[in-house]
Amino acid sequence: MSDQTTRRGALARAARGAAALALGGSAFYLVRKADGQIVWNVDSARCINSRLGVTNVEACNLCTTECVVPLSAVRAVNEYSKCGRCYICPAYFNITSAVDEKGLPSEKLCPRDAIERKPIGDIDPDDPANNFYEYIIDEVKCDGCGKCVMACKEPLGLGSIVLRVRHSLCVDCNRCAISTACPKDAILQVPIEKAFDHVQLGSHD
Amino acid sequence: MKSRASTLLAAAAGLILLFAVNAAGQAMQYERPVQAAPQEEGIGGSYKTPAVQKPQPRSYWLEVLDVVLMAVAMGISVWVVLRRRSRKWVLALTVACLGYFGFYREGCICPIGSIQNVSVALTDPGYAIPIVVTAVFFLPLLVALFFGRAFCGGVCPLGALQELVLLKPLRVPRRLDRALGLLRYAYLGGAVWLALQPFPVHDFIICRFDPFVGFFRMAGFAHMLYIGAAFLVLGIFVGRPYCRFLCPYGVLLEWVTRLAGRGVSITPDKELDCGLCQESCPYGAIEKMRVVRPKCLYCARCFESCPREGPLARKR
Repeated sequence: MSDQTTRRGALARAARGAAALALGGSAFYLVRKADGQIVWNVDSARCINSRLGVTNVEACNLCTTECVVPLSAVRAVNEYSKCGRCYICPAYFNITSAVDEKGLPSEKLCPRDAIERKPIGDIDPDDPANNFYEYIIDEVKCDGCGKCVMACKEPLGLGSIVLRVRHSLCVDCNRCAISTACPKDAILQVPIEKAFDHVQLGSHD
Repeated sequence: MKSRASTLLAAAAGLILLFAVNAAGQAMQYERPVQAAPQEEGIGGSYKTPAVQKPQPRSYWLEVLDVVLMAVAMGISVWVVLRRRSRKWVLALTVACLGYFGFYREGCICPIGSIQNVSVALTDPGYAIPIVVTAVFFLPLLVALFFGRAFCGGVCPLGALQELVLLKPLRVPRRLDRALGLLRYAYLGGAVWLALQPFPVHDFIICRFDPFVGFFRMAGFAHMLYIGAAFLVLGIFVGRPYCRFLCPYGVLLEWVTRLAGRGVSITPDKELDCGLCQESCPYGAIEKMRVVRPKCLYCARCFESCPREGPLARKR
């Protein structure tokens, strides 16, 4: 009886050791290829709003409708170094609306009036098209609907506005609802260091 | 430089011409005025390009703190159940962990959902998970290998929520309990299979159908909130329905616990076959006056019911 008990005890210990080894081994494998801190990120080359070659279509607003965060953790960001600072910005103005008395389109594109248009330096009233304007997106108002992103790209704009995840708001769902809904699989997890790179826009498939 | 200026001039001229042609009240013919973004020197007037906002995520060290807190909570759970044998302390730990891991951390990060990340990371060479996620997945299994399912008891916020609503436990017939328990295997298998599929079939169903995360976040899809509420109402009468019949991580913990050397024991040195502990266990984890450790969820109800060590004994 006691012999059997010890044999059983030894077997149990061996099994426990084997299990500990298996768990530790797989944990070690995962730790070795670990990626630091990862965050959800919009791949601008995949996002239908920013990828080139998609024009004359309604902007995709799944980032607004699917996100579990109020308004959405995704918003539009103007990468200033790429901005044309145009007199008539196709992302600020609804360029299909009627022209008003100042010669500017009468309607704005943003449904939430989240973009501010600010002249840079002195404005020459006689040469309006040669003045520069800063377009500043108010992150509190923006809900990431993507209208401005779709408007600011070839052939009308330079593609300086892209959708980005606001990491301070993102609650890091393991299964990001936008990522599951996105038709282009453009919401991906990347290491935090890569999350703020402005990718050269292309027509990724 | 010169060509840019001339392009701008040409564009300006074109626009002015367009304005002249366009009568007011008509949409303009839009033409892009610039071919390249003007830079600081081109704009002049000591213009500085503004910084682009880069909102940072929660600090990495706070995530490490979550893991440390989880490990500490499991240690407390083991100590409170195996040494103190006190239901009151277990309840205190349950409430604390429900508050922190549930409502404050909003149900993320959790070992249950991390099954999917771990399976993908183990099979896909291009996918890696942070060390924090690896730790969250493996720590409860490691504890279970030595002491049993201490994580389920006071630490898991999903379990904690169900533990607190279980007011009128009914006995589930053993056969039904076993049959429903098989659902967990199907759920685990399905979840891992779907996690390993490529886009667009790829899905993390454990997170998609997490019944309680909507309560933790105070927001969520209506259908999931209804399902969560249904689980809680059922949970008043049936002990921890999600844990026992669906939780895929419970399957892993159960497997590992079979190898555990220690765990909850009842009447360790004095035999008293009153069976009150068996009556008190809402999870069917006491059979023939012995604890079935793989099914034991570390709730300490059995100690409380015991005439030798519960309040009955203390009153004497």
